[in-house]
Amino acid sequence: MALSVWSVLFVNQTELFGYTRAEMISYIFVAALLQGLILATALHGLAGRIYSGEISTLLLKPMSLGSYFAIEEIADKARNVLFTLIESGILIALFQPQIMFPQLAVFGMFLVWAFGGTILNFLFSLLFGTLGFWSPETWGPKFLFFIFIDFSAGKLFPLNILPEWLQTVLFLTPFPYLTFMQSQLFLGKVSPESILQHSIIICFWIVFFFLLNKFLWDKGLKNYAAQGQ
Amino acid sequence: MKINSYLRVWRLTATNALQIAFVNRGTNLFFLLGKAFRFLISLLFLFLIKESVSSVAGYSSDEMIVFFLTYQLIDSVAQTLFRNVYVFGNQVRSGELDFLLIKPLNPLFRILTDKPDINDLLFLIPTTLGSAYLLSTLSVTLTTSSLLLFGLLFLNAVIIALALHIIIVAMAISMVEIDGLVWLYRDLSALGRFPITIYHESVRLVLFFLLPIGLMLTIPAQVLQNLTPSVSLPIVFIVTMTLLAASLQFWKFSLKKYTSASS
Repeated sequence: MALSVWSVLFVNQTELFGYTRAEMISYIFVAALLQGLILATALHGLAGRIYSGEISTLLLKPMSLGSYFAIEEIADKARNVLFTLIESGILIALFQPQIMFPQLAVFGMFLVWAFGGTILNFLFSLLFGTLGFWSPETWGPKFLFFIFIDFSAGKLFPLNILPEWLQTVLFLTPFPYLTFMQSQLFLGKVSPESILQHSIIICFWIVFFFLLNKFLWDKGLKNYAAQGQ
Repeated sequence: MKINSYLRVWRLTATNALQIAFVNRGTNLFFLLGKAFRFLISLLFLFLIKESVSSVAGYSSDEMIVFFLTYQLIDSVAQTLFRNVYVFGNQVRSGELDFLLIKPLNPLFRILTDKPDINDLLFLIPTTLGSAYLLSTLSVTLTTSSLLLFGLLFLNAVIIALALHIIIVAMAISMVEIDGLVWLYRDLSALGRFPITIYHESVRLVLFFLLPIGLMLTIPAQVLQNLTPSVSLPIVFIVTMTLLAASLQFWKFSLKKYTSASS
């Protein structure tokens, strides 16, 4: 849908919202790939598994829960990326769009940021999982969060088409660092001087959510009574 | 009267769904906030386009907004009415379907309409009022006849949604897994946020005549704005009735294959 809509919007324009047609088409493909890699998660039902007591058996296994969930996540992401690549390949073969590729050094940094985004989303998923220690009703907040992520990570449209004040507010949150900034780096829209600054911000959010997760998981596990098993 | 029995059953299941929604007030509030946020963001996108682009594939920016509002209305109604299909796979797996088959009501009725989505129902109130206000501010031509015809095509759209949901549950009888089918329907219907005529010709043909999302969402919006419909109205009604008849035949065929293995 995004490909068709933006293609139609560019019929009579060479540039729109600061994007050329090639940049926007590239954005759509890169964003789709990043969503498969970063935003897809196998931990949707984690809170339910905790509340139902299903994690009791996992707690008895000779490996940490975090490692177990990380392996589940990697397997899920591998499947998602594979299907996104197949889907994108078919679309590229059908529509033969002009896609931009960055220089090798920028591409390397893009991979590092994509890895950072993946860790950040994993930490978000774990964070929502901790709700299961205290409540069975986790789908409402998660639904709202997913909708917010769809928007704030630039899944629906690039964030830099938004009014300036809204972009400023969004950049006070970690969400643009899930997929949006990665796609901007890929398209060469991040200046070399600001790459270090954004890298530090990604690291800051990862450390912050890691510590928050650790605090809540420790608190939740102390509270956990394994009922239902 | 048989229709009274159906209405009574629907009222009971709707009351149950309402009670459940009130028990889980917090969760449902988050769902409503999420839906409102998504609605507002989609509108924001359309208004951003309106500021920068004067026309999209021959439609003005205001007309594009009407297409989206029509999608929002019809999709919410379909979601409200046919929400139970989401759990139908589970009903087949657990054998609960057997209990629906032996009741003195058409089993399709409860399969489709049990547990109406209260969130979507509540959400319909502000969005319909908001849409009506927005329509009054847009540069589109609405007339009494276009509104009446829209009403007719709205009912037609609900019938198309009904037929597509019947096909989904009929397929789920043998596939058991229904989530993929429902999400395929949701993704395809999301294409109707914009007029189907903007898509590639092959996609357009499929969405007008094979899985008639276009007849369900684009034609009512075109008629509402007094635009020439992409498909003539007699053909719209013929395709709808053919689809409904075919979906019912497919359901009967699937039901004959049902072995009740899980119960």
